[in-house]
Amino acid sequence: MAFDPVRLEIIKNAIGSVVDEMVLTVVRIAYSSIMKDTMDLSSAFCDAQGRMIAQGLSLPLHLGSIPDAMDAVRAEYGDTLAEGDIVVFNDPYQGGMHLPDIFMVKPVFVGRRRIGYAIVVAHHNDMGGRVPGSSAADSTEIFQEGLQIPVLKLFERGVPNATLISMIRRNVRIPDVVMGDIDAQAAACRIAERGMHELAQRFGVDQLERYFDELLDYSEREARRVIRSIPDGVYSYTDHLDDDGVDFGKPVTVCANVHVAGDELTVDLAGTSPQVRGAINSTLSFAKSAVYFAIRAIMDSDAPNNAGFIRPIHVVASEGSLLNPRRPGAVAARGVSGFRLIDAIFGALAQAVPELPRAAGEGGTTSYSIGGVDDAGRFVLFREAIMGAWGGGFHREGIDGVANPAANISNAPIEMVENQAPIRIERYELVADSGGPGRWRGGMAVARQLRFLGGRATLQLRSDRRNFPPYGLAGGQPGRGSMNLLDEGKEEWRELPTKFTRAIEKGHAFRHTSAGGGGYGEPQARDPALVLADVRNGKVSVGAAERDYGVVITTQPWRIDETATARIRNSRQASLAAEVQ
Amino acid sequence: MSTITPSLRVGVDIGGTFTDLVFLHADGRLDKIKIPSTPDDYSRAITEGVAAYCAKMRLDAAEIFEVVHATTVATNAILERKGARTALVTTAGFRDVLELRRIRIPMSYDLGWEKPAPLVEREWRLEAAERLDARGNVLTPLAIAALEQAVQPLADAGIEAVAVCFLHSYRDPRHEVLAGEVLRRLLPHAYVTLSHDVLPEMLEYERTSTTVVNAYVGPLIGRYLARLRERLTAQRIVAPLLVMQSNGGLISAGAAAARPVTIIESGPAAGVVAAARLARDCGHANVITLDMGGTTTKASIIEAGEMLRAAEYEVGSRVSASSRLMRGNGYLLRIPVIDVSEVGAGGGSIAALDAGGSLRVGPLSAGAVPGPACYAQGNMRPTVTDANLALGFLGADSLAGGALRLNRELAERALQTHVAAPAGLSLLDAAWGVHVIANSNMVRAIKSVSVERGRDPAAFALMAFGGAGPVHAVSVAAELGIRTVIVPPAPGVFSAFGLLRADIEHHAARTVLTSTAQFDAGSINGAITAMRDELIARMRDEGYAAGLVKIVTQVDLRYRGQSSEITVALPEQSVTESALRAAEQRFETEFERTYGHRGNTQDFELVTCRLIATVPRATHYEARWEPDAAHATPTRAVYFGATLGSLQTRVVTRKSLADAAISGPAIVQEYDTSVVIPPGWQACLDAAGNIVATAA
Repeated sequence: MAFDPVRLEIIKNAIGSVVDEMVLTVVRIAYSSIMKDTMDLSSAFCDAQGRMIAQGLSLPLHLGSIPDAMDAVRAEYGDTLAEGDIVVFNDPYQGGMHLPDIFMVKPVFVGRRRIGYAIVVAHHNDMGGRVPGSSAADSTEIFQEGLQIPVLKLFERGVPNATLISMIRRNVRIPDVVMGDIDAQAAACRIAERGMHELAQRFGVDQLERYFDELLDYSEREARRVIRSIPDGVYSYTDHLDDDGVDFGKPVTVCANVHVAGDELTVDLAGTSPQVRGAINSTLSFAKSAVYFAIRAIMDSDAPNNAGFIRPIHVVASEGSLLNPRRPGAVAARGVSGFRLIDAIFGALAQAVPELPRAAGEGGTTSYSIGGVDDAGRFVLFREAIMGAWGGGFHREGIDGVANPAANISNAPIEMVENQAPIRIERYELVADSGGPGRWRGGMAVARQLRFLGGRATLQLRSDRRNFPPYGLAGGQPGRGSMNLLDEGKEEWRELPTKFTRAIEKGHAFRHTSAGGGGYGEPQARDPALVLADVRNGKVSVGAAERDYGVVITTQPWRIDETATARIRNSRQASLAAEVQ
Repeated sequence: MSTITPSLRVGVDIGGTFTDLVFLHADGRLDKIKIPSTPDDYSRAITEGVAAYCAKMRLDAAEIFEVVHATTVATNAILERKGARTALVTTAGFRDVLELRRIRIPMSYDLGWEKPAPLVEREWRLEAAERLDARGNVLTPLAIAALEQAVQPLADAGIEAVAVCFLHSYRDPRHEVLAGEVLRRLLPHAYVTLSHDVLPEMLEYERTSTTVVNAYVGPLIGRYLARLRERLTAQRIVAPLLVMQSNGGLISAGAAAARPVTIIESGPAAGVVAAARLARDCGHANVITLDMGGTTTKASIIEAGEMLRAAEYEVGSRVSASSRLMRGNGYLLRIPVIDVSEVGAGGGSIAALDAGGSLRVGPLSAGAVPGPACYAQGNMRPTVTDANLALGFLGADSLAGGALRLNRELAERALQTHVAAPAGLSLLDAAWGVHVIANSNMVRAIKSVSVERGRDPAAFALMAFGGAGPVHAVSVAAELGIRTVIVPPAPGVFSAFGLLRADIEHHAARTVLTSTAQFDAGSINGAITAMRDELIARMRDEGYAAGLVKIVTQVDLRYRGQSSEITVALPEQSVTESALRAAEQRFETEFERTYGHRGNTQDFELVTCRLIATVPRATHYEARWEPDAAHATPTRAVYFGATLGSLQTRVVTRKSLADAAISGPAIVQEYDTSVVIPPGWQACLDAAGNIVATAA
C-alpha cells in the first residue's frame, strides 16, 4: 500500500472537523432563521487546484455545486487571489445555483503558499426582486428574481469592498439581516483558515497535499466499489412535476436514464422537458448535486464527499433543458426539480437494486414566505419549509414526519414564530390515510395551517406532488397528493395551485398538506398487527384498513376480525391470480 | 483501625456493569469497592456493598451519615423502552409536535435510518380545546368537560403517567394547572407532569419532549428510590439519601422523584464534579476532563473552576457523536446539563480496515462481554485494549490487579489478522496505528467542547480518569498542545468519589422574552422573586435553612433576531438598567470569544431568567486514599511508534513517585489503571496524591 492507512484516517478526520466547524459557526452566529434554524447551507474545503477535498455536515443538495463554483472562481481570477481576499457570487449562470444562495470563497495561505480554499454557500432570506424572499416559482426571467452578483471580491487583501456592500444593501429588503449572515459566512471561512493552519503545522504542507490526493483516491475507490455492485445495464424512470408555476396544470417531465457499466455510472437526462417559462429550471450544477446525492444515498460508506467521489459519475443534460437552462431563464424555485430528479433516479435504480432505494417520499420541501407589513406598518419577512415523509422500503417502514433526505433542514419552532412574526400557527399535524399503502407503509403527510395577523402581505408558496403523487415500489401504492387551501377569513377553504404568489390580508389563513410517501410491497401482505396499530394511532382509518389492506378491524374492543380479514385477502388474491392468467 | 466513625459518608455510582462505592470517613480516610451491578434490582448491589463493607470494617451501618447516589436507572429505562405507559395532553391541533420533532435527521445519506419511536404513541396523545397567544392572552378557554370525557379511557388502558404541554404555557400556566386538576381527579394513581413545572421556557417541542421524558421515567424512578430507601432502612441506615443531577448538583431523593428528568445523566456529571473540585484543590483553574470507558470516551471542560453547562442534550441516542449537528437519534431534554461530549472510542472499540483502505477504530465495541480479544471470552477482533497490550502499555497483569489475566497472544493474533496483514504493516505499527487513531477520536471529543466554543485546549490541563483514560491521556494531551496531565488517585471510582464533593443545587428558569432596551422590570422581577421563593422553599423541604442558601441569577441574552442565546451571570439579584447593561457586556465578550466577532446590532433580547440555588458543602478535603498493594514489575519493552521504536520502560507504582519524580518512558501501574508516561514527559506525585505528568 502506497499510503499509511493510519495517517489517512487521521487527516480525513481532521479535515472533517474543520469543515463541520464551519457549518457550526454559521449556524450559531447567523441572523436569519433559514440559516440558524433550518440550516440551509454547506461548507467545503478545496485544495490549491480547486478540487473539493471535504464537505461539511450540511445540505446534501449542495453536493455538486462546489466544484462548479470553484471552476467559476478560478476562471475569473486564476491563481491571482491573495491573502485576505474573499470572493462572493450568486449568479446561477456563473457558478451559482439560484440567487438566494450566496457562495463565499476564501483562499487559504500557509506563508506565501496557497494550500486551498474555504467555501461556504448559504441561503439568504432575501435577495431583492419582485417577491419578498426572492424564491417565487412564477417569475419568468432571472431579472425578476433579484440582485445578480457575478464573481467579485467582497474583501481585497482584507479591505472590504464598500461599493459592492453598498450595492447589496440597497437591493435587498432586509440589509442588516443579509449583511449579518454574510458576516457569519466570513467568520466560518476564518475558522477554516485557522483549522487548516493547524493541520499544516502538524503535518507539513507537502505531506498534507499528498494526503489530499490520497483522500480523493480513497473516495473514488469507494464510489467505484459501490457502482460495481450494481448490475450493468440501462435503467430509466420518468417522473413529473405538476407544472412550472406559470402554465398551470401543464406537467413537466423529468427523465433519468441510468447507465451502469462496470464501475462507471452515467445519468443521461434525455427525455426531460425543455427549459420552462416558470422558475423551476435547475442549473446543471444543481442537477449534478441531485445525481451525486442519489448515488451517495445508496452507498454503504462514509467516505468523504469530495472530488474523488464524483470521478466515476457522469451527468448528461442538453443545454436549454429544464435541468440545464440558458440565461435568462428563471431558476429561483429549482429545488423542486432537483427533488424530482432524485425521485426519478431512485425509481430507475430500484429496477437494478430493488432493496436499496425507498419508494418516493413527499417530493421535496414545501417552502413559503410571507413578506409585508404588520399592524404597525413595520416590514415583516417570514419564511420556512414544511416537511415531510419517507416512502416505505425493502423491509423498512416509511417514516412519518421527517426531513427530506436531500434537504436535511429543521422546522421553525411554533412559539418562536408566534413571538416574532404576526402569524398564528393553528395546526401542525400528521394526516390520516395519507401514507401510501404497502407491506411497508409510506410516511404520512404533514399539514401546517397558519393565519396572518398583520396588515398586508405577499404569500408565496412552492409545492408539488398533487397530480403526480409519490410513487410506490414493488406493488406498493402511491401516497396521497398534496393540497393548498386558503381561507379569506370566512371559514371557507378553497383550493389554490401547487405554486402561487398572492396578496393576503389580516385574518387570512392557509393550510398546506404535503404529499404522503409511497408504500413498498403489496399492501395485502402487510402484517395485520401493524395495520391495527396504525388504526389505533389514527394513522389509518378503519375504512382504509379494509379498503387498502384487506384488514377488518373492530373498534370496541380493538381487535382484528381474523375471519373477515382472511376472506377479503383470499378473494383479492384469487382475483389477482385470475387477472394474471 | 477506628471502629466507630461519627460521619461516614457513602458515594454510590451505578453503571451498567459495575457498582462503585466510595466510603469517606470523618478523618478523611477513603475506601473503595467495585462490585457487579444487579440489573434485576440495582438497589440490591448498593445495600449488599454497604453491608459487606460494614461487616469487614466492623462498622455499625447506623453510623452512616449520608448516602449520595448516581444512577443510570432512568437512562436504561429509556434505552430499553421500559418506562411507564404514558399519555400526553396537548393544545388542539398539536398532538403530533412530539412525533414531528425538529424534523432534521442526524445523518445525511442514510436511507436506512429509523426514527426513534415516540415515548407516547399517537393513540395516547389527546388534544384539549384551549389556546393562549404568544403574550399569554387566552384565545380559547380550556374546555374542561370535553377534557374530562377524553381522559376517561386512560384509566382503563392502564396509563400510569400523563404529561401535559400547552402552547405558550411558559407565559401563563393556568390552563395546564386546570388540566392537571382534572387528571389528578380522574386518574388518582397516575403520575402527572405539567410542562410549566418542569420547564417554563419557550419552544414547544423541547418543552413537550422534556415533560414526556419526566412522565415516562417518573413512576419507575419513584419506585426505585422508594425501594432503595426501604432497603437502607432495613439495614438501619436512616441517613438522608441524595441524588446527583445532570447539572452536577445534588437533590434529595424526594425532589428527584418529583423531577426525575434532572437526574438522567447523573453518572457522567459526578465525574466532572470530582474533577472540578480536585482541580480547585490543586490550583488548576482550567481543566479538560477525559473519561474513557469500555465503549465511549467523554470529555468536558472546567474553566475558571466552573463546569460548563449546556442547555439541552439528547438521551438514549445509540449513536455516539461529538458533533452538535447530529441531533435526532435520541430523546431531547432541555435542562441544564454539564456539557459532555462523547465519542464511540473506548477500550473495547473494535479496529478494522474499511473497504477503501483506511484504518477505523469504533464505533463498534466488544464491550465488557465478550470484551477485547485478550480477555479470551470469544471475541477474535482487535480492540484498543488489545493494541495497548501488544504495544506493552498494558501488561498481562494490568487489570484489576492481575485478577483478570490478559492474553497477549490472542491480542496479537487479532491485530495481525485484521489490521497488520491487510494493511501491510508490521504488528507493532498496526497496534500503534490503532492506539493513535483512538487518540485522534478522543481529540475530536475534546475539540467539540473546547475549540468549537472558542477555547484553546493548550490553555488547559487534562485530567484523565475511568479505567482506560490514563493509558491514552498523555499522548492525547501532546496532540492538543496540553502540557500538564493529572491522574487522580483511584481513577476507576472517580465518579463515585465526585458524589461526595458536590453541592446541593436547585435550578429554576422562566422565559420572559423582552427587549433589554424596553422592559417591564416589575413583571420580570416578580418572576425572579417567585423563583427565589420557590427555590428557598425547595431547600427548606430538604432541611436547609434560608440562610445557608446562595442564589445566583443568570440571564440568557441574544442579539435581537438571533436564536442562539448565551447564558451570563447577572451582577445583581434582580433586573435593573445597570445590571442588564453589565450583562450585555458579558454577553458580547463571550459572543466574541466564541465566534470571533461581535454582532452588527446593539439590540439585545432577554429570553430567559435563571436562578441557581446552592448550599455549599465542605470545600476542602483532607481526603486520602489507602495505597494499592504494589505489584509492579521492574521493566518491560514498550513500543512508542516508528520514530522512537521499542524502549525498555520502567514500570512503577504510584507510591514510588512520592520518593522521586520519574522521566518517561515509564508506566505507573495501578489496581484499576495504567498511566503511560512517554519519552519527553515526566511524572511526579503532588501533595494530594495525584500523578502529575508534564511535558519536559
